Amino acid sequence: MAIHLNRRTMLALAGAGAVSLATPLAAQDTELRLAFIPQENPEKLLGDIEAITGWLSEQIGVPVEGFVTIDHAAAVEALRNGDADISFMGALPFVLAEAEIGAVPLLSEVYRGAPSYTGRIFVRRDSGIDGLADLRGHNIAFADPISESGYLYPLAEFVEAGLVEGPGAAEEFFGRVFFAGGYQQAMQAMAEGLVDAAGASQYADLLLTPEQQAEVTWIAESKPIPSHLVIARAALDAALRDRFTDAMMQLNEPENRDKLRYLYGPDGYVRADPAAYHGVRDMARRYGLLE
Amino acid sequence: MRNVMRVLLAALANALVLSGPVAATPAKEAPWLPEAAAYRLTLFLGNLAPLPWDDFETTWTEPYRGSEFSTGAVEWLDRESDIEPDGLLDAMMREDRQAVFAEATQLIALRIEEELDRALAAEESATAQQAVRTARELYRAFEDGIAAADPEAARRIGLAWLELNSSTGFSGVLGAGSTSADRETMEAARTVISGYLAENYLLDSFAPRRTLSGLPETAVLSGRTIEVPPSLPPGSDIFDQDPLPRLVLNFEEQGIDETDLPLVAYGDMLFDSAQIFGSPARDLGITCSTCHNRSDINQRLFIPGASHQPGAIDVDGAFFNPTFNDRRDDPLDIPSLRGLRFTGPYGRDGRFASLRDFTRNVIVNEFGGNEPTPFMLDALVAYMLEFDFLPNSMLTSDGRLTDVAPEATRRGEEIFNTPFAGLGDRSCASCHVPDANFLDREAHDIGSVEPGYEGARVGALDTPTLLGTAYTAPYFHDGSLPTLAAVVDWFDETKSLGLTGTERADLTAYLETVGAADEPYEAFDAENTAFRLAFSELTTFASTLDTLLPLRDAEHILLLTDTVAADLAADASTMSNLTARPEVYALAERLAEVGAAVRVEDWAAAEASWTAFKSEADAIEERAF
Repeated sequence: MAIHLNRRTMLALAGAGAVSLATPLAAQDTELRLAFIPQENPEKLLGDIEAITGWLSEQIGVPVEGFVTIDHAAAVEALRNGDADISFMGALPFVLAEAEIGAVPLLSEVYRGAPSYTGRIFVRRDSGIDGLADLRGHNIAFADPISESGYLYPLAEFVEAGLVEGPGAAEEFFGRVFFAGGYQQAMQAMAEGLVDAAGASQYADLLLTPEQQAEVTWIAESKPIPSHLVIARAALDAALRDRFTDAMMQLNEPENRDKLRYLYGPDGYVRADPAAYHGVRDMARRYGLLE
Repeated sequence: MRNVMRVLLAALANALVLSGPVAATPAKEAPWLPEAAAYRLTLFLGNLAPLPWDDFETTWTEPYRGSEFSTGAVEWLDRESDIEPDGLLDAMMREDRQAVFAEATQLIALRIEEELDRALAAEESATAQQAVRTARELYRAFEDGIAAADPEAARRIGLAWLELNSSTGFSGVLGAGSTSADRETMEAARTVISGYLAENYLLDSFAPRRTLSGLPETAVLSGRTIEVPPSLPPGSDIFDQDPLPRLVLNFEEQGIDETDLPLVAYGDMLFDSAQIFGSPARDLGITCSTCHNRSDINQRLFIPGASHQPGAIDVDGAFFNPTFNDRRDDPLDIPSLRGLRFTGPYGRDGRFASLRDFTRNVIVNEFGGNEPTPFMLDALVAYMLEFDFLPNSMLTSDGRLTDVAPEATRRGEEIFNTPFAGLGDRSCASCHVPDANFLDREAHDIGSVEPGYEGARVGALDTPTLLGTAYTAPYFHDGSLPTLAAVVDWFDETKSLGLTGTERADLTAYLETVGAADEPYEAFDAENTAFRLAFSELTTFASTLDTLLPLRDAEHILLLTDTVAADLAADASTMSNLTARPEVYALAERLAEVGAAVRVEDWAAAEASWTAFKSEADAIEERAF
């Protein structure tokens, strides 16, 4: 699904960022600023943010403000300079932010009972492709070059199988490697026969039509990938950080679950385990993204 | 970077309908950009007769129904684009269909070009990626037309989009993993796309179109007959109502197994089969149960140009069966079929005495299907006659309140039974007879129908039952009254009943009690899912093969296997137990094998596949959720 970030919105948000840079930080322990990464139509996200920050403010007892950043890098920058106290973040950007600014993991998202998911290699059922080796010389579509489940982890399966020498050598094994721009685009390209395989999240086939879903299958699955998380800047007051985390954990209660849809719609949250992200740190090093 | 789980959850929660081939289970598709949505709606409305010109304008000035964007296409263009829609707006004002088509088509093509220009000119890869993404989404407006007319071009352009996206460069995360743009490859891919647009969509004039579609101009000029798969426009909603109404079947309540009632089970299958209708209903997966969810209604059903509000549809308009188009914009609120054996005659005005005649009219005339066989009509009628009213412990079987009914309802009951001068010295109960399921099986003109012409005597409508009505809002034939309280107010005002505020509240309380039910909706949980219900139904439908195979009744077997095998595979996409999905696909294929064997008259193979299906279905049952 597309990110409908239009130029006007981006300008407005950039403008808001510029203004907040000049905002004094004196009130940092008496309010919380949350950075959101756009995943879908920012117009909808803005409405969602208003709904969830209002509720969080009631729970925590300090004003809570939310704003949308342009991307992960901007969110990390906001954490670095104190513009944001908390941010929602993918696992890979988190480990990079951890290395760069000492960001702290607070909560991990839960989907279908687990704070992790996998990447898979999908093919059409009638393709005659049964294993990774069958894809030699064939075309594949991935989501984008820094997607955990849509590139890094699925490609690692080819490396493990001894088919691809390492990151950067994928072109030598495959015919063509495309970055389609997202899971859905990669899966559509495969389902429509434009490419022979797609590397995407384990749930990405559910983005296809019901008829297409029946026509595709998967031939390899990656190691578990820790799910997206909520992180804080290192210097955030510990008591305030705990109150925020406790409030977020309240979202797991039946009476609050309806509010999860304002937060990218996970099934719930668990307290983050920093050790759970070792695998992502290793993966980032293998791909030369982390020293 | 995307998070599929987030997207997925959003996708499952949303309510748009996928265009394309047979869709037994409607699928959510990515939201349309405002101008692409307006274009698709323009094509759709442009094929209706008479042309709904007022709707054309709102299509471009207001967000489409269910849109995630708060603005309409014109305002969106003003913000996002340098392209002026003046020519299009002028064409709409002149009510010139061909000009509207030409202007709208050019506009979308120009927008794609504009975004491609931006992508090529962008210095930041994030900006370029966004422009490519927008251009690609706008291209969706033409995509089904190109795929239908020229699969080779569709493939070439599909690969060009992949090339373009891959060569645009990526900004990475925090500077790590970034790649720069490959301008040469970008230019080459863009040339493929732009060349096709220039030849087919970015034209000064277009050949006259009998049917508006996204077909490329060169294909239209070739004179070939090209079928574009029917699709519903953005804003349509044919998903099941949520919560799903509870189905009360007489035999089931008595503990009789549907698999022991082959005629009823076959009728149940037909009620869920799009195969009995003609195109476009058949191609869109529309069935009896699309409108009449679980014998009741579907409050969310909406098709632009055919529905004036959710839960209403004009079944004799231009869309479903042009031959049956009465050229009157008169959508009806979908009626409940509960207690059907007591609610005849049928149709809002009771124009069909026979349920069988009514059913045939729905299949053949309203939805353009082939003439059903006598067996099909017998089966459908047998099934529908099993629809019972919802049990309501506040009401006796002869329509009196029980001890558990609230006090206010007793005062309301008294008013309900009181004759009023404004009702011709009759009471509400005179027509809504309590011991006759709150209806009198007669048609009365209560003044709720706008006369079509001066002196018309066509306002008499069949008295509807009041049972189960707490869950079937809105009310009246056109759904013009949103609540039962509004119905009470309407009668009080138009019939000068002179009720006090308290009396109106009491009467409303009584109606809400009469219309209530102990369990109006299906209750689902982690394992008792909608899919489990669907699995149980579909395997029950299939059980009629035990009757049909020995009879060597190929026609009805194939109707069943075509319907059920496709539905089973499509419904698997709704499973929460994802690991069992492959087994369900295999089971669906097993049923398709029965059909394939019957097609070549290999009855032994058909019997063998059917036997295998039964044992495999039993084995899967526990995991089928």
